[in-house]
Amino acid sequence: MNEGLHRAKAERTERSLAALDVEHFEAIIEGCMLAGTHWFNILLHRARLAPENADAMHAEFLSLGARRKVFLQMPAALGALDEIEALRTSHVRGDMPNGPEAARRALACLALLRDEVAAGADA
Amino acid sequence: MKVATHIDKFRRLDAALTRLRADVDYELWVWTAMNACVNLLNAALHKSGLTDETDSFHTQVEGLYARPDRVTGTLIDAMHAPGDVMHAGQPALGTPLPERIARASTALAFIEDLREPFVRGGDAPGPGATSEWERAYGNCVRELCAVLDLAAPQ
Repeated sequence: MNEGLHRAKAERTERSLAALDVEHFEAIIEGCMLAGTHWFNILLHRARLAPENADAMHAEFLSLGARRKVFLQMPAALGALDEIEALRTSHVRGDMPNGPEAARRALACLALLRDEVAAGADA
Repeated sequence: MKVATHIDKFRRLDAALTRLRADVDYELWVWTAMNACVNLLNAALHKSGLTDETDSFHTQVEGLYARPDRVTGTLIDAMHAPGDVMHAGQPALGTPLPERIARASTALAFIEDLREPFVRGGDAPGPGATSEWERAYGNCVRELCAVLDLAAPQ
């Protein structure tokens, strides 16, 4: 998927997220994963770590070798997407406590991913 | 997870869905509808004795669970007989499903199949297309609520 389509889908999902409250924490965390993965793919494509016809679906499904390269070039973005994915296990497919706080963390990670893309565009 | 926990999650996800428009917010609508249905499906499978009501969470890897340590708040990888399923037919249970659960699974699979073109891919729903999505969601919820003796949300 090219950068323009990733961006359009990330921004639409972020508008959808704005309709929810943190009490809807499962939906918020999932939306952060969806939008965040689009921002992450833009970064991967720009860094030539993945071509536009081979989007990453989940950060944890990157091969070990690919993850090492991504970690070297964009550690903050990888860390943010990993954190969102971890919140899916604990608070979407799981029932660990403090769901609204988990939603706030996911939103903060999503903001970091968006900011990384913006910073790259400004550079 | 426990039946009651799945039902709580279904109610929150269903409430979130009422804030979204399928034709506008289609990526998050599909994902939220899917998650709402999967929680009801798991509750129905547990109640029917087809899967175990365990205190463990499905991970992103089929058949791999995360078991919580409720004292430390940490998660530990575990493999065991099917507890929660991840999606309709994942993992396959190797046994025929009761009619209502089978019909609900068909409706859920329809929603899950929307992910590839509309969420991961670049398709946008055409005019009126999402009424079929909403019908599938309603059918899935009605069938599973009947299994669980729950009033289906309006």
